[in-house]
Amino acid sequence: MNAKLDRTAARTADRNASPGSDTLWKWLTFSPAFAFMLLFSALPLINLVATSFQNVTWTGGQADHSAAGLSHYLALPADVLFRAGLVNTIIFAFVAVGGQAVLGLALALFTTKVTRGRTIYRAIFILPILIPGIVIGAIWKLMLNFDFGLVNKLLGAIAIAPHDWLGGSDTALLSVIAVDIWHWTPFCFLLFLAGLESLPQDVFEAANMDGANAWQEFIYVTLPLMIPTIVVTCAFRLVLAFKVFDEVYLLTGGGPGTSTEVISFTLYQRFFTEDQLGYGSAMSVAVIFIVSLLLVFAISAGRRFEGAAK
Amino acid sequence: MNQIRINRRQAIAGIGATALASTIRPVWAQSVAPITIVINQSPWFDSFSKTVQAYEAETGNKVELDVNPFAGSLEKQRNSVRAAAGTYDILIMNSGWFAEMYFGGFVTAISDIDPGFQLDPDLFTLANSIYFDPASKTMAPSGKLMSMPIQPNLPMLYYRGDLYKEKGLKVVETFDDLFNNAKALNSPPDVYGIVQRGARGAYTVSYDFFPYLFGMGGGIYKDPVAGDYSLTLNNDVGREALDYYIRLAKDAGHPKTAAMDQAEVIQALVTGHAAHASVVIAAWSQMDDPEKSIVVDKMEFAPTPHAPGLPPGPALGHWLGGISHNVPDERKRAAVEFFRWFQRPEAQMVNAKAGGIPLNAAVYNDPMTEERQFRWMKPLAAALPHAVNPFAFPEASEVISVLELGLNRSIAGEISSVDALNSMSDEIEAIMAKHAYKTGKGAPLG
Repeated sequence: MNAKLDRTAARTADRNASPGSDTLWKWLTFSPAFAFMLLFSALPLINLVATSFQNVTWTGGQADHSAAGLSHYLALPADVLFRAGLVNTIIFAFVAVGGQAVLGLALALFTTKVTRGRTIYRAIFILPILIPGIVIGAIWKLMLNFDFGLVNKLLGAIAIAPHDWLGGSDTALLSVIAVDIWHWTPFCFLLFLAGLESLPQDVFEAANMDGANAWQEFIYVTLPLMIPTIVVTCAFRLVLAFKVFDEVYLLTGGGPGTSTEVISFTLYQRFFTEDQLGYGSAMSVAVIFIVSLLLVFAISAGRRFEGAAK
Repeated sequence: MNQIRINRRQAIAGIGATALASTIRPVWAQSVAPITIVINQSPWFDSFSKTVQAYEAETGNKVELDVNPFAGSLEKQRNSVRAAAGTYDILIMNSGWFAEMYFGGFVTAISDIDPGFQLDPDLFTLANSIYFDPASKTMAPSGKLMSMPIQPNLPMLYYRGDLYKEKGLKVVETFDDLFNNAKALNSPPDVYGIVQRGARGAYTVSYDFFPYLFGMGGGIYKDPVAGDYSLTLNNDVGREALDYYIRLAKDAGHPKTAAMDQAEVIQALVTGHAAHASVVIAAWSQMDDPEKSIVVDKMEFAPTPHAPGLPPGPALGHWLGGISHNVPDERKRAAVEFFRWFQRPEAQMVNAKAGGIPLNAAVYNDPMTEERQFRWMKPLAAALPHAVNPFAFPEASEVISVLELGLNRSIAGEISSVDALNSMSDEIEAIMAKHAYKTGKGAPLG
């Protein structure tokens, strides 16, 4: 023990004697990771921001960059698709994630309570998340088809008239949200299940001894203990939901009208289809800013909720 | 028995002559470098693929096809032509974006690669869109030969000839004829009088709307050929055309018109659920394909309808083949050799028999047009002279995006036809002004 303490003291003395070489060593070992991050994160972002202040045209096969000032940013509020996309994306993100959180928690609670077949239930519940996005689009496009879709066939069996789920302005966004809930609930389920299984059991034993019923146990014990897990899961899902593209692209193409227009799809049209590189870059920067704000809001709301629960 | 004796010298001479003969190719089929063509997956892709195979078999030259979805093909073409060295030698460009490639200097003129290249005199030039003068930025025969027509796609009216015979209906000529016939055959959900596209897409509902707009004497711009891009979309003719489109969908069409895309319209035709549809002629072969269609030999074809006293106004949805500017000269010359073979009547005959749409007028004069299988050729030949090229400027994709949204919103009932036409005109006028075209707009529709 004394020898160990002596060695520690010796190392500390060495460090104090040459702090410069230690710092240099730290920078040398950190620099490859820093360079990687700079190259693949910071530089593309800087390039994006720079392009957002330019107009890019093509002549003689070459790009011609000219200054555009703030014109692209100032044009954003007047863009019908951008406005519709922003509103729809916010609705989509909160409703879809809310649905996934509730369903995911319910399924996780159910799985922890069953005594037999838990592995089978878990396997079944996570199936949707294993399916590739393009296949999900194909499955649900067929299921929701007006003429021969399974959903309308089942409704017809109970004498309900068929509905144009993806083609009607009133139900298109809800249908896309329903597909997203079906797709991503397993993600929430897995994280909540891990959270539930890591909760201390003595708290539940104490609650039982105090005569708490199942509902009281859930409200006063389970939920408060699960808040950190719920906050992190919902924050993660919110950010991903805000970036939704594949489901909208495959199911509705943003229509009918603007009813399922989402911000990623608007960006895709402006930047890629219409080749408006400067304006598309400005839109991208705006979206990054909005998502960051959303994340900050979600985390701070979660912390406040956590504090109130304690 | 007499035996023919061949000495060694004669044998060697004979072998050499055979080897030499096997290397002789027809004049139009020079041995050239392999080329890559970037192309979209379309109803006519199979026929083009078979035509390319015939080229390879006849000439021994190699062609690779890079096949993509419609929008994906445009992205790949843009990435390729903007790079230091291009991936693709021939770009199959749609009417919606070929102007972008011309104006941007992304394709090399065929006449620059081979000044002696002769266009077949019977080849359709598709509203002169194969020519471009970089100085004046116009498309006229006085400009350079920029591209080769690949598919002269036009919308045609597909209709159920068997149902017409049953009901004693006459072939549609005017819009009133179409409305009446569609109503007469409308028996949902088994058969819809007409199935139209209404979905938003890369170039979807607006393309289907154009025959109505142009066939009624309307248009988007005042005089685009003269460079006057003042908006005429939101006038009485535009309103009449859009109201007609919506009324036809409501009274004799599919209930989910606003969500119908090309695949769904064709599906409705081949499954016998549509009595009429305006579809690109390139889809004709699917009607008579027994593996896909239950209406084999029942579908007939006619030019799209028109107002009395006016010609039909089908919009060109054609495809042109351009040669990338940033590929080696050897591959550019190889691409020209492919075009030289492709434009010939014999090659176009192969194209037609494979299910494609021939580009050479000689094919339409051939006795094969009398065959039942090619009953669409005469109506197409009648429609081609009236084809309209809606976009001759590079910012077409921005304008198409506006049209797609506005038309879809009005068909979906989200906004009225008047609001749609006024808002589309405002937005298109802003786009044209932003890019410094001569433009303006009239008073909004009331």
